[in-house]
Amino acid sequence: MAKEFMKGNEAIGEAAVRGGVRFFAGYPITPQSELPEYLSWRLPEVGGCFVQGESEVASINMVYGAAATGVRAMTGSSSPGISLKSEGISYLSAAELPAVIVNMQRGGPGLGSIQPAQQDYLQATKAAGHGGFRMLVFAPYTVQEAVDIVYDAPEYAERDRSPVMILMDGCLGTMMEEVELPPMKELPESPCKPWTVGYDGTKRGGHLITPIYPEAGLEGKNKLAVQRTKRWEENDVRVEEFMVDDAEWVIVAYGMSARVAKQVVLDLREVGFKIGLIRPITLFPFPKKSIANLDYTKVKGLIDIEMSIPALMREDIELQVLGRAPVYEYGRSGGILLDDESTKAAVRKIIEGGEQ
Amino acid sequence: MKFTLIISGSGGQGVMSIGMSLAGSAVEGGMHATFMPLYGPEQRGGSAKCTVIVSDSEIVSPLPKQSDGLIVMNETSFKKFTPELKPGGVLVRNINRTTSALKRTDIEVVDVPADDLAHELGSDKIANIILIGAMLGYSGMLDPAVFMASLEHKFAAKGAEVVELNRKALDKGLELGRAAKKA
Repeated sequence: MAKEFMKGNEAIGEAAVRGGVRFFAGYPITPQSELPEYLSWRLPEVGGCFVQGESEVASINMVYGAAATGVRAMTGSSSPGISLKSEGISYLSAAELPAVIVNMQRGGPGLGSIQPAQQDYLQATKAAGHGGFRMLVFAPYTVQEAVDIVYDAPEYAERDRSPVMILMDGCLGTMMEEVELPPMKELPESPCKPWTVGYDGTKRGGHLITPIYPEAGLEGKNKLAVQRTKRWEENDVRVEEFMVDDAEWVIVAYGMSARVAKQVVLDLREVGFKIGLIRPITLFPFPKKSIANLDYTKVKGLIDIEMSIPALMREDIELQVLGRAPVYEYGRSGGILLDDESTKAAVRKIIEGGEQ
Repeated sequence: MKFTLIISGSGGQGVMSIGMSLAGSAVEGGMHATFMPLYGPEQRGGSAKCTVIVSDSEIVSPLPKQSDGLIVMNETSFKKFTPELKPGGVLVRNINRTTSALKRTDIEVVDVPADDLAHELGSDKIANIILIGAMLGYSGMLDPAVFMASLEHKFAAKGAEVVELNRKALDKGLELGRAAKKA
């Protein structure tokens, strides 16, 4: 199939359409505004519905409503906007509604900066809202990988009846690169599922979709959620291990940082360093085994590289290393981007000087 | 071969559109390319910068520290981005809008009166094409025919006259770039 040259935001918009998303509600925010802009004309072309809500809060609750009818629903935003949506995301999880949520991260905290960053790792993986729920969190590192993940995301959401988060950054949203778009997925004539509001597949019925339960019922739901998390950990972990086999030094990085890190690995390999990269593609479930099962008789240290100060993934890494090797970090933050040469110099300094 | 180019100027000078066209044409021509924009919150008048990488192999990182080529369209970007050019790299400068003296002595410089030339050719809008032409002529980072094909495609709806104007602008830039290379 022919390669196209597309902006990340627009490419994932198209991938969502081809993956069956037919409802999007959102509110503009840099650096993801091209996503709603694209879908505002593209969704009507395929009989879908686009709404620019009056706010982020309105938009996420429109997604809740649409998802309750069975239609594949999606929203997108960037860091401060995701914070505004957090109540709605928790409600989606409570009501067991499938939805795709994209966060094109920018500098934070607060209104922060409009430039790219990776400062929402903890929010995405630990507590995207109140109530201790978890979601699958994907972190693509190229526009192509983002397209492939967004294309399949509605199916993960429906399989689990849970929101799914795609955690990206402003670089991936606004950059352009080559991409091969997948074909349009065949959709059933009606989006209705056996559980959707007012319909059981044959006749209108009395299904209740609710984010509130009596106590005993709620504890039961919490227990089922734990089972689902276990299934994710068994079946859905995705990770790339790059030149790790003989590595004495292992970089851990995701998204755009992993591209910089991969270049650093290639450059340092050329001058004799035994270095590799572990790249989580799912941030939740975290690829624990890739880090836990490293050969710690060989590994001299791990380096967490992020566009975030402090490095937020570090605690998850340390929980797997368990003191068997030192963990270091290097990052830029607040909208200042990593670059190849500075990152390589920082990694060399850590390796040669053991700087923590 | 991999070539990294920074294009910079102020919002409204066509920095982003020319960067997208260049990178897009490289992909149409069978190469790999990335386009990475960086801009302030302003729609016009603020500083605009983009990084274009063109390569015959897959591009791993789109975030290099320094570039092989730099186009500056105004004084602000000249001051701000000249340090981001590698030693030995090529600077294409719109001398109609840059006033201060160049401090670096470790880079190649092609001075182009892009605004004057664009005006002479009949449109103030094509200064960016002249500058790209000069960069292509000097550096050989991409076959100019590949870039022209994408301009033809882009401006087809605007008529043969607009396409021809862009061709003249590109040729003018190429001529200046190639002459500077020989000198």
